[in-house]
Amino acid sequence: MEKQKLYDSFVQLEADAKRMLARIDEMQTDLMQVLERDAELEIENQHLRERLQEIQAAADKKSERPKTAAAPRLSKSRANLKKLYKAGFHVCNQMYGSRLDDDEPCAFCLDVIYGERR
Amino acid sequence: MQFSIKRTLFVKKLNDVQRAISSKTTIPILTGIKLALTDAGLMLTGSDADISIEAFISATDEKNELEIGSTGAIVLPARFFSEIVKKLPEDTMTLEVKDNFQTELRSGSASFTINGLDANNYPHLPSIDTEKQVVIDANVLKQLIAQTVIAVSTQESRPILTGVHLVLDNQELLAVATDSHRLSQRKLHLDIDKDIHYDVIIPGKSLLELSRTLSDDVETVEMRIAENQVLFVAGTISFYSRLLEGNYPETSRLIPSSSTTQVEFNAPQLLAAIERASLLSHASHNNVIKLTLDPAKDDVTIYGNSPDVGNVQETLTHSNLDGEQLEISFNPDYMKDALRSFGQTEIQVAFTSALRPFTLVPTEDQDHFVQLITPVRTF
Ligand SMILES: [Zn+2]
Repeated sequence: MEKQKLYDSFVQLEADAKRMLARIDEMQTDLMQVLERDAELEIENQHLRERLQEIQAAADKKSERPKTAAAPRLSKSRANLKKLYKAGFHVCNQMYGSRLDDDEPCAFCLDVIYGERR
Repeated sequence: MQFSIKRTLFVKKLNDVQRAISSKTTIPILTGIKLALTDAGLMLTGSDADISIEAFISATDEKNELEIGSTGAIVLPARFFSEIVKKLPEDTMTLEVKDNFQTELRSGSASFTINGLDANNYPHLPSIDTEKQVVIDANVLKQLIAQTVIAVSTQESRPILTGVHLVLDNQELLAVATDSHRLSQRKLHLDIDKDIHYDVIIPGKSLLELSRTLSDDVETVEMRIAENQVLFVAGTISFYSRLLEGNYPETSRLIPSSSTTQVEFNAPQLLAAIERASLLSHASHNNVIKLTLDPAKDDVTIYGNSPDVGNVQETLTHSNLDGEQLEISFNPDYMKDALRSFGQTEIQVAFTSALRPFTLVPTEDQDHFVQLITPVRTF
């Protein structure tokens, strides 16, 4: 009967839609994890580059006494945090590495980047 | 259990208690309202597990016209019960609990019988015994709530920020809320025992409900705090809320102690200008307005633009512009919330740089109220 068929295909469609929704939820969770992992790796990468530079610099001027560099406006690690923040990630203690919602600013992040050292 | 009561008064008390009752509760008995009658009077209780409200109707207060036949307790379905009570025909109504929790409501020639539940199954409210009483002027408390809840987070992903952080120390009450985009902080001096010290986080929603529960005739509110609950007693109403668990992030260091550019505005005037500029910024994807301050020219201008609609520019009436030239962009909605919380007053706005949060304080009393707004991430 026509109505039975119509109903059956409706039920089928509903089941499909539910499966699809579950899949979207899953993908969203996965995506967030990938983004957070990406942020962490980027930070790690920066740290390693810095370390490498330090080692190279030390090797280059083995004999020289290290000059005391004039205090830069932002330390290297803060500049890196600033980059990450600019790229849309929290760098504050509470939310470190997670995405800034809707690109909203975060006062805690700004404190980490620009605030006086605790 | 049997009593009769003046219906208008009963309706009023039912409304107070019903604020706490949610139809979405997962605990079935909490969709009900508890009535407990003793010789002293009738206690009404409503709760959604987060918030609980008790209202007491005294038997000795003649205005209540409470006539007690026999004492007892019952839980009645809140929505139906109050709808029925509101529509009963006469000034007086009688309630009587019969067998099997069947409850009869009578007024004039109307008679309803509704199914009640055993009051013994209703959760017990926490008892909060403390001698450390904190009494606050009701209007001051309402103002404090209105000024801080605007900044609480609405996102459950950071539950701790959905609350207002209250710290009471050395007769000073500090209330802070932040959703990390903006922050609001209010300080109050209280004439209380110097030894009273509290550090708690109260859900913003609870404080909003409390504020709505405080009627104009209430003059003072007494606050009591226990392990994981706070109780506010206002007249015949007792308002309980759970506290949020965890550590509130350190916020005092977010508020800059110095500034490089300062300017003063009349709060309502600035609000009107921001509202105009946000007409266009709202139409745009990123909802941002830009403020430029040029002390050399004594000029302050805001800009808003929407790629689709057009743009707006307005020179702002201001006073005492001082310091360095600055250009800063921010979300006008945060600015609007902040400005509304100041009411009719002059404010001072202080900037440190285009990248760092700026503050708004009343020009007259810069110490007791501060709003902080974080600029957008334009580098
Ligand atoms: Zn952050």
